[in-house]
Amino acid sequence: MKLSETRIRSLLRVSSALVIAGMLIEIVSLLWFHPLSFVLFAFVAAILIGLGILVYLVSIVFVVVPPAER
Amino acid sequence: MEAAARGLVIGILICQIALSVVLASVFLIRPSLTSATGWKILAFIGLCVLPALCVVGGMNTHMLRSEQTRFCISCHVMIPYGQSLYVDDPNHIPAQHFQNHRIPVDMACYSCHADYSIYGPLKDKMQGLKRIYMQYVTTPPNPITIPGGFKNAQCLHCHLGARSFEENPVHAAMMDALKSNQTSCLTSGCHDTAHDVANLSHQKFWTSAQ
Repeated sequence: MKLSETRIRSLLRVSSALVIAGMLIEIVSLLWFHPLSFVLFAFVAAILIGLGILVYLVSIVFVVVPPAER
Repeated sequence: MEAAARGLVIGILICQIALSVVLASVFLIRPSLTSATGWKILAFIGLCVLPALCVVGGMNTHMLRSEQTRFCISCHVMIPYGQSLYVDDPNHIPAQHFQNHRIPVDMACYSCHADYSIYGPLKDKMQGLKRIYMQYVTTPPNPITIPGGFKNAQCLHCHLGARSFEENPVHAAMMDALKSNQTSCLTSGCHDTAHDVANLSHQKFWTSAQ
């Protein structure tokens, strides 16, 4: 499966948004000293960041290589 | 000193997170930049390497934080157990260990309640998550009990091999039973006053000069 450049850019945007959201939640969890902060980190922040990384990896794995570069 | 080191680690982690957020923001606004090779490498660092490091660093920080006494007693139901560490009575085992620094005071709960087996920290974390679930979703047990009971291994982790422990004739006579957990250190009638939270209101408390 090959993705068009527009599709890859939108995947990069989604990946960036997920990573940013996850990172901001991770900062909140680090500054909040409460047993729930671990739950917030493990079940929200880590999952968002993990999804962000996954979407980024999908965008580079299925990248379209122009014929001239092959 | 240890608190300063801990603060430094969190500071470094937050800087790493900030750098990752900045890089991710650049690719959120201008994803077209990744057509150039240099930006492709930056995208790999900002959207894959740094976030992965931040997750590992965050997990490590949370795991270390959960070993702290003030973390344990930040949970509402644990407050009386924290107070019981200040009971002014030499028969109260946790209080004596805490007040005489026989255990690290900032890791008092963890020192005696950690599972010291190979997968112990993981089991402890799962148990902690179960407690959080009970606290917020179902009903926490009253009184709080340790699943499977308090194991001698948690006492022997420090006391085994200590001269004062091994030369004690009572301990020496039942060493095998203690090691195999057949005779409990706590419930066999020898050291039976642990966190007596039900009678806290009748207790005298010790106050540290610090």
